[in-house]
Amino acid sequence: MSERSPVLFNIGWNACINCGACVAICPQPEPFISPFDTISVDRPCDIACMLCESICPVTTIDHVAWEGTLPQSPLNNRSHHT
Amino acid sequence: MSESRFDVVIIGSGPAGSTTARWLAQEGISVLLLDKRQELGAPIQCSGAVSRHALEEVGVPISEEFIQEAIYGFGIYNEAGKCTKIDYRQLKPDEYGAGESQVPLGYVVDRRRFDRYLMTQAERAGVTVQLKTEGIAYQPLDDHYCSVTVRHYNQTQHIKARLVVGADGLMSQVGKWAGLRTHIRINELASCLQFVVDKVPTDGLLEIITGHEWAPGGYAWVFPKGHGYAEIGLGVIPTLTKRDAQWHLKHFMESSFFKKRFSDCRILEVQGGGVPLASPLRTQYADQMILVGDAARHVNPITGGGIHTALSGGYIAARFLTDHLKHDRPTRAADLKAYQDAWLQKLGNKMWKLYEVKTDIFREKDIPTRDKRLFQTMAGYFSPDSEYKKI
Repeated sequence: MSERSPVLFNIGWNACINCGACVAICPQPEPFISPFDTISVDRPCDIACMLCESICPVTTIDHVAWEGTLPQSPLNNRSHHT
Repeated sequence: MSESRFDVVIIGSGPAGSTTARWLAQEGISVLLLDKRQELGAPIQCSGAVSRHALEEVGVPISEEFIQEAIYGFGIYNEAGKCTKIDYRQLKPDEYGAGESQVPLGYVVDRRRFDRYLMTQAERAGVTVQLKTEGIAYQPLDDHYCSVTVRHYNQTQHIKARLVVGADGLMSQVGKWAGLRTHIRINELASCLQFVVDKVPTDGLLEIITGHEWAPGGYAWVFPKGHGYAEIGLGVIPTLTKRDAQWHLKHFMESSFFKKRFSDCRILEVQGGGVPLASPLRTQYADQMILVGDAARHVNPITGGGIHTALSGGYIAARFLTDHLKHDRPTRAADLKAYQDAWLQKLGNKMWKLYEVKTDIFREKDIPTRDKRLFQTMAGYFSPDSEYKKI
C-alpha cells in the first residue's frame, strides 16, 4: 500500500470534523501535526503509508506527489506555526 | 521567557489529566495542568457514556452541570435486530430507577461541561490550570527533575518539574517525546462518526447494534442525549471495509431494522473520532514521565469506552505519585515502572484479558460466526453477572 516516494497531504477542510483520527494513526516518530489537530499539510510525508487517508471517517484527506515546493494555498503558508 | 517550578506538569486536561491533578493537589503536591484548547472537551470526539460507579469511585459528585441523561441499562442487538435487553429497572428495581430512593446505572454526559467540571474541581483543589498552552518538549535533567517547554499565547515557557504526566489523549505527542512505542495498528483503531439528532425516541438504555453489515469491526449505537435528543453513531475498522464511517452511518440509518425509527430524524451535530480497540501501551513510563488515559491507551477494547478507564487510571497515577514524590524518590524510568505495575494490578490486567477476547473474535474469518460471537460477547459483557462490568 505504501507509495514510498514522499507525498504532500491535502485536507478538504469543509468536510473535516477535527476528530484527530489521522494524527492518532500516523506512524511518524516525530510530531506530524497541524495547528488544526490534523496531520501536517505544509511539509512532505516520506513514509507515505496513507493510513491517515484510510482512517478518516469522512474521506477528506488526499495527497499529491511531493515536488519539492508547496502549492500556493493560504493554509500552506503556516510553517512558522508548526 | 520565564521559568517556573512545579512538582508535576500534566499535559492535557481531559478526564485522566484532571483526575490525576485533583488527587495530587489534595495531597499537597504542586501541579500545573495544561491544555492547548480554549474550550475543554471540544470538538467532541466521544459519545459520553459513563457509569455512576466510575464517577463515585474517584469522588466526582453527580452534577446536573454535565449530565445529559440518566441511563438504566442496555439493549444489545444482533445484525437482524434481535435484542437482548438488560434493563436494571427490571432486574434490580429496588436499586435502579428514576424514583427518589433509586439511582441510575450511569449517564450520558456532555463532554464540554464534564471536562470543564473536572478541571474546575482540580483547580479548587489547588491545581494551577492554564488553557491555550501547548506542550512542546521535555528534557530529563537528572535523576529527579526534568524541564518542560510549553507555549502559551505564542510565548515560550520553561517549567522545572519532577515529572511530566502525558494526558494528551489519543493523539498523544508526549509519549513520542520519550520515544515510547505509541503507534497503533490500523486494524485496531475504529474510525467513528456520530450525529446528535432530534426526533429519535429513546428509553434510558444504551443501545448497541452489532453486525458486520452495519459496522464492520466495531458496532453502531443509539444513546439517549437528554432533552429528547439522541446520538446515533458507529465505529468501523478500515481494514474490514472499503467504505468510510460516513457511508456506513448513512447505510445504517437508511437500511437497517431501525430505518423507520430514524426516518424523521434531524441532525443537530456532527462528531467523530478515532477509538482504539487495542491493548494498553506495553510501556507507559519513561524518565520523568508517565502516561495516563487515552495517551496510555487506557481504553476498553471491547466497548471503546474510555471515560471510566481515564478516571480510574488518573486516580491510580495520583495515588502512586503522591507516595513516590512525598518520599523524594527519583523519577527515572526504572523508578516509575511501579506506576504501571499498580495500574496493571488494579485495572490493566483485566483490560489485557478483554483485548484477548476481542482479538479472538476478530480472528474469526467467517462473518456470520464472528457476528454471532460479537453479539454474544457484548450481551454477556453488560449482563449483571459479567466479571468485567466495572471496567
